[in-house]
Amino acid sequence: MLRYTLKRLGSTIPTLIAVLTVIFVIIRIAPGDPAIAILGDNASQQAIDALRDRLGLNEPLLEQYWYFLTDALTGNLGNSLVSGRSVLNEVLEVLPHTLDLTIASIIIGVIVGIPVGILAAVYRNGPVDYVARITSLLGLSFPSFYTAILLILAFAIHFPWFPVISNANLSDPGDRLYNLVLPALSLGLIMVAYVARTTRASMIEALGADYIRTARAKGAPALVVIARHGFRNAIIPVITVIGLYLGILIGNSVIIEIVFNRPGLGKLIVGALEQRDYTMLQGLMVIYAFFIVLTNLVTDLAYGMSDPRVKYQ
Amino acid sequence: MRKFLTHAGTGLALALCVSYGSIDAVRAETAVNVGLKAKDATALDPHLSTKSGDKPIFALLFNGLVRFKPGSMSPANLEPDLAESWEVSPDGKVWTFKLRKGVKFHHGYGELTADDVVYSLTRAGDPKRSSVSSDYSQFEKVEAVDPHTVRITLKTPVPSLLGLVANYHGGNIVSKKAAEELGEGFKQKPVGTGPFMFKDYKAKQGITLAANPDYFRGKPKIDKLDFKFVPSDSSRELAFKKGELDIFTGKREEKWVQRIGQDGDLTVDVFEPGELRTLHLNTKVKPLDDIRVRKAIAHALNRDDFIKLVGDSVTRKSWSPVPNGYLGHTGDLPKYEHDLDKAKALMKEAGHENGFKMNAIITKRSALLRPMQVIQAQLKKIGIDLELDVVEHSAFHAQIRKDLSPMVLYGAARFPVADTYLTQFYHGNSRVGTPTAVTNFNHCDMADAEIDNARKEPDAAKQKELWAAAQRKLMENVCSIPLFEQLQVWARRNSVDYGYTLEGALSLGPLFTEVSAKK
Amino acid sequence: MSIATQTPQERSGVRHALTELYHVFNTNKTSWVGLIIFLIVAVLALLAPWIAPHDPLEQNIVDALQPPSDTYWLGTDSFGRDVWSRILWGGRISLFVSVMSIGIAMVIGGALGIIAGYKGGRIDQIIMRCMDVLLSFPTLVMGLLVVAVLGANLTNLIIAIALTVVPKFARIARAPTVAVKEQDYIEACRALGYSDTRIMFVHILPNVVGEVLVLASLWTATAVRIEAYLSFIGLGVKPPTPTWGGMIRQGFEYILDAPWMCIYTGLAVLILVFSLNLLGDGLRDAIDPKLRNE
Repeated sequence: MLRYTLKRLGSTIPTLIAVLTVIFVIIRIAPGDPAIAILGDNASQQAIDALRDRLGLNEPLLEQYWYFLTDALTGNLGNSLVSGRSVLNEVLEVLPHTLDLTIASIIIGVIVGIPVGILAAVYRNGPVDYVARITSLLGLSFPSFYTAILLILAFAIHFPWFPVISNANLSDPGDRLYNLVLPALSLGLIMVAYVARTTRASMIEALGADYIRTARAKGAPALVVIARHGFRNAIIPVITVIGLYLGILIGNSVIIEIVFNRPGLGKLIVGALEQRDYTMLQGLMVIYAFFIVLTNLVTDLAYGMSDPRVKYQ
Repeated sequence: MRKFLTHAGTGLALALCVSYGSIDAVRAETAVNVGLKAKDATALDPHLSTKSGDKPIFALLFNGLVRFKPGSMSPANLEPDLAESWEVSPDGKVWTFKLRKGVKFHHGYGELTADDVVYSLTRAGDPKRSSVSSDYSQFEKVEAVDPHTVRITLKTPVPSLLGLVANYHGGNIVSKKAAEELGEGFKQKPVGTGPFMFKDYKAKQGITLAANPDYFRGKPKIDKLDFKFVPSDSSRELAFKKGELDIFTGKREEKWVQRIGQDGDLTVDVFEPGELRTLHLNTKVKPLDDIRVRKAIAHALNRDDFIKLVGDSVTRKSWSPVPNGYLGHTGDLPKYEHDLDKAKALMKEAGHENGFKMNAIITKRSALLRPMQVIQAQLKKIGIDLELDVVEHSAFHAQIRKDLSPMVLYGAARFPVADTYLTQFYHGNSRVGTPTAVTNFNHCDMADAEIDNARKEPDAAKQKELWAAAQRKLMENVCSIPLFEQLQVWARRNSVDYGYTLEGALSLGPLFTEVSAKK
Repeated sequence: MSIATQTPQERSGVRHALTELYHVFNTNKTSWVGLIIFLIVAVLALLAPWIAPHDPLEQNIVDALQPPSDTYWLGTDSFGRDVWSRILWGGRISLFVSVMSIGIAMVIGGALGIIAGYKGGRIDQIIMRCMDVLLSFPTLVMGLLVVAVLGANLTNLIIAIALTVVPKFARIARAPTVAVKEQDYIEACRALGYSDTRIMFVHILPNVVGEVLVLASLWTATAVRIEAYLSFIGLGVKPPTPTWGGMIRQGFEYILDAPWMCIYTGLAVLILVFSLNLLGDGLRDAIDPKLRNE
């Protein structure tokens, strides 16, 4: 399994280099200037030029590219052009917020989605199934900013229970959770929908399998059949979906972070794009790409753990 | 990680039980939470950053030799700050400032001496280290006579010199030791002498300032200022309602001011400066090089709509290239009143009976995008099809400075003297696309002589005349169409008392002084 | 995956395809509901020039931020423009952007997937690597990048969305191709000297088209949302063209003064996305026999 993991990681390096090249080129083609973003609207041209010099933006592009690539591959993400602080530090500072949000919404998705999916599958084509399917489709259709805005209107304004600006103090777990509730719900609802649908589909397949029929025929209690035989076999697709949608969650978290004014990777990346903070954006993309590769890998490995039939070559 | 999972795992139920009251209760000190309409503040160096979101913070961290009286932005109300007194030589070229003794820099960077002042003013005039160096182009030398005396020698007399050593942009005095020691890092750890000192910065989240216990006017009553970056207007207001903010940048719209004003616990301050929104027309490109077309555009624009868009109490019409209240502003200028027939006739005369198409670049920020959309709709009525390229704010500035947009809508507040506005926006040397470029998007240079002469004119009355003549020439040529001035709007909880009447602030935000308090 | 096991004879003929589609719809009632809602939305949007009560671009600043009334059914925005009319016109943009971008992505992605799967070897490697690179960008970030480089307008928005979706189509088309190409009848075609193009078009394409269509309907729903997200961040279609995302963004800034801007426009997005999801979901269930009702 270790060999498989290493091989998988190794094979992603060319992809990673290509991603980095694309991002390096694209952001430099885009009009805009980090120096203006730093100095503000009425800085003199001379000051802007001087700052570009200090930031190393006037050096030959190929040179900049080479430095960036060699640095990135050795794990050095450099300093943000705009704030001058280490990219890695800035990322690590906000990463807990993004992880909180992502993990919390997955947990909500699993806790609510799996039982709903199982119920729907067991009472297939009955009213429970119908309601579950339609509501989960509806949940899936909610644009995340809409959910977020409605939640703010309802639970921050009408019932003033939760904060509007979700900026948690990381060292205070209570504060952290309290700030997480609305953003996590906004994303969690989408996750519930995804998980419920996948669970339902794979449960239906599993319950239709021969060995389930055999188990039923042998008179095993319904609950045992569902839990032991059905669910264990249905879980793989669910894990895959969770892995797949991790990427979607990260994308959606951009919007959530904007609406809730919450710190996080998404806001960092949009900010870096707006300020043309080349180094920050490059660094973030390295991390993102790595994240995605890692997610795929973990998903694959999770397969193996829940299903002994899956073998790694 | 596991710890976190247990947290999150206990789930929503727990979260619902957590009372937010307990979080507020830990505060024993007087802290004021300020909601800033800004996304970040990355360069806290008053000589470098010209961002409006940074200015309210500079005003707290730094002092100038003189200062605008808190709550006022009138150059007539300048009062001693770091300098106790000053005198001018009869020819107006040599200014000598006596410094206050015993003023301490933050974070143990020692006592303020003439060296710091010399260093700061030299730095402010250095194009490599300052964004406002051109303001200091008339400085011949700045020298320390003794540890508490500074002498400034000018190339030519500058009547408004005090403005250049006031607590605004380049006039802010930084610690020489800190600036040299920290180098590029100074903008992340600014060191000044102001009532508040830098404590903490969180990227894209906020800045915390703490009271300066050694402030020379006395320790501020407020212990902590928490600035939070909340770019969305709605979010700031919602957060205020929830008690997460005590004061915040308001929405500069009358409807908003009226609605929120009904909240008994809140005061809205509307104050100077008015940021003048001007539509600059590039007089060197077709078809705008034809004065008839420019006049047609001027007649097509209806200022009433802009006022209605924003509201009477927070805005006022403008007809002059120099904002109201600036030294040297004149209202005695040709006015191009809204008149569609006249505009259409002019278009026909210029051979554009069927109108034309034109591209313009505009920022996605609503302060400019919204009025630009009104301009777009109004020009449509005389057949001008304005296609708007909406881009990121920094891309907007990069592109208009490359002269890529024939029409530029710009909004700005500057040091309140006609010279700053005229030089930056209408002087030939400031034309975009040239090495000395600032923000002259209209490419006019017909008033250069008046602007130059006014700057050197020692006689105040004659100077005003020259400025008026410059403004007249610019408007006769329709270099630009000044539209309206938008005032500053901030809201505060009634418990917050600034300690003065807020009528104006060049820092574009309320100034917290040693007497400001929160009850 | 199941489609791959069917023989090509079963799936030929336009008439047969139509009857099968009808059958597919009938096996799953929700797809009918989805289709009907979608058609209603589409018809309303298409008829916007005739049924919109006001000019969506006409600014009437005196009437700014009016609540819903007889004149302005869903209120007005901050420029005094009629929200209902703008929703109708905005629907045209949303539909156009999403259908075009997914259409383009479907054709390009599908073709790339089939070519990669059929040719195999180095070509397969190169194509799929490129797709991996594209997949490494979060959808929204990719959209923002493309729009930042090319500028924010309708065409570029379509390109941006299409680019993010192409790899999904390539992947979904490649898998069945790989499975089918090993089968005897493809071998037979090759032995008969048919050109690769002909084999891919005539014999492989029908095996792929079902899954690709399902994916297309689901991704059209997502495209509507991506368009809204990009406009929400502030980089969508040029003003004054109404778009749903742009309206929600503006509405969010006035959420306390004029909540109708945000709420009704959001509802429009929700309805369109929901109908497309119902449609796509029904189609998937019907096409995938594992889930087909017995």
